[in-house]
Amino acid sequence: MKWRRTAVAVALVILGVALQTTLFVRLRPFEASPALALLVTLAVSRHLGRVPALLVGFCTGLLLDLLSETALGLWALVLTTVAFATVRLRHRFEDDVTLLIPGVFLLSFIGLALYALLGTIFGAQTLADAQVVRKMLLPAVYNTILAPLVLPPITRLIGPQGGGRPGWDR
Amino acid sequence: MWRPSGVDRSTLAFIGLVVLSLVLVTVDLRASGEGIGGTLRDGVQTAFTPVQEGVGFVTRPVVAFFEGISDLVGIRDENRRLRLQVTDLERQLAETESLQRRVAELEEILAIEPPGELDTVAARVLATGPSDFDAIRLIDKGRSDGITIDMPVIDEGGLVGRVVSVTETSARVRLITDPTMRVAVRVERTGETGILTGRGGGLLQLEMFNTNAALIAGDLLVTADGRFPAGIPVARVTEDAEAEVGFSLITRAAPEAELSRVDYVKVLLFTSDQTGSLEGSEDDPAQPPLETTTTTTTAGTGTEPGSTTSP
Repeated sequence: MKWRRTAVAVALVILGVALQTTLFVRLRPFEASPALALLVTLAVSRHLGRVPALLVGFCTGLLLDLLSETALGLWALVLTTVAFATVRLRHRFEDDVTLLIPGVFLLSFIGLALYALLGTIFGAQTLADAQVVRKMLLPAVYNTILAPLVLPPITRLIGPQGGGRPGWDR
Repeated sequence: MWRPSGVDRSTLAFIGLVVLSLVLVTVDLRASGEGIGGTLRDGVQTAFTPVQEGVGFVTRPVVAFFEGISDLVGIRDENRRLRLQVTDLERQLAETESLQRRVAELEEILAIEPPGELDTVAARVLATGPSDFDAIRLIDKGRSDGITIDMPVIDEGGLVGRVVSVTETSARVRLITDPTMRVAVRVERTGETGILTGRGGGLLQLEMFNTNAALIAGDLLVTADGRFPAGIPVARVTEDAEAEVGFSLITRAAPEAELSRVDYVKVLLFTSDQTGSLEGSEDDPAQPPLETTTTTTTAGTGTEPGSTTSP
């Protein structure tokens, strides 16, 4: 059962990355696109065990790194952090669903800001980008808009939170 | 397994993965994208390209639908503008034909060989970079079509970018808007040269070598960079600029290529050694000897993808 959930999570992540890189080639309202892979990582991390959630975040990031020209490990670090923050905050999201949407915005924004900062440290000149604030803000806004469309189906596919076995879920 | 008291397993896993990520970054940066990182990138891109093609095929109608809606807005103005443009272009065409006849006559008199033509490969844009920070496009042609690293890529407007990595069936193109991209350009009106630098999107930054050369909004900037054939339109100056004494002359320019909606492109089968002595890296574009470039090109994508043609 756990493996089925993890397999579904991996399939969702691959679909998210594929959509992220193909759907928004031309469809870019205000010259920006949602950070779909980040949103799927966040959605999946709400339901998997803690360690599997981190591993899925890391592997999703690694896939993004391998599909981009930035240093290998940058996205891996960012999405592992997003997964870790989601895992830490998910009980609050369950207690108060109204926190979920602002939570998506905040985690998306923080993830992209972390990427921009790390990119600059490791030579990608992301903070030299004249539109850096827009590139962090708009995807976070788009993720917030897409969250009601993306989170419920993923919840239905993976099931409610709490699936990790005791050792993995602490 | 030992673990510090009070630290749970997921925190330890998080710390471990962060350290692993940092090790990967360090190793990859030290290898400059080659080595295991480069091999992995090629392998994953090759494996993932069919997935991207499939998803792109399925989502294309959805994208076309939304594009159609957005195109409806302002279509009348666009129509009027295009009519004016057609009239203007017809006039320019007549002038160009006359000029071409004169050039041919003069070349004959001076016994000059006409410039050679470049082969091109038309390609379709399959995918974009994984985030808005990555000014990258994936195209559906690769090494098997003769594409190699550093080749220039154009669309019907002008320079789109250059190839930065290639697999057998696909290639990644870095757009000219990327902050790490610098292209040496020449102002077509005055012949003065300068450097265009990407700013992540939107307008590019133009810095002139000769600070006394005034720029007028609308000035066309063409390639004057050893890595690209000379004369490809790159951008158009958007603001008049005149340097104050002792200061550099910097202004903004809008890319001629339709970078935000690029769909089909042409890869020019051109390597920098075709220009002779020119060389340069991204941080140090070759600037001076424009005269050594013996190739001309005409931007345009009138061919079907997959064909190899001469523009």
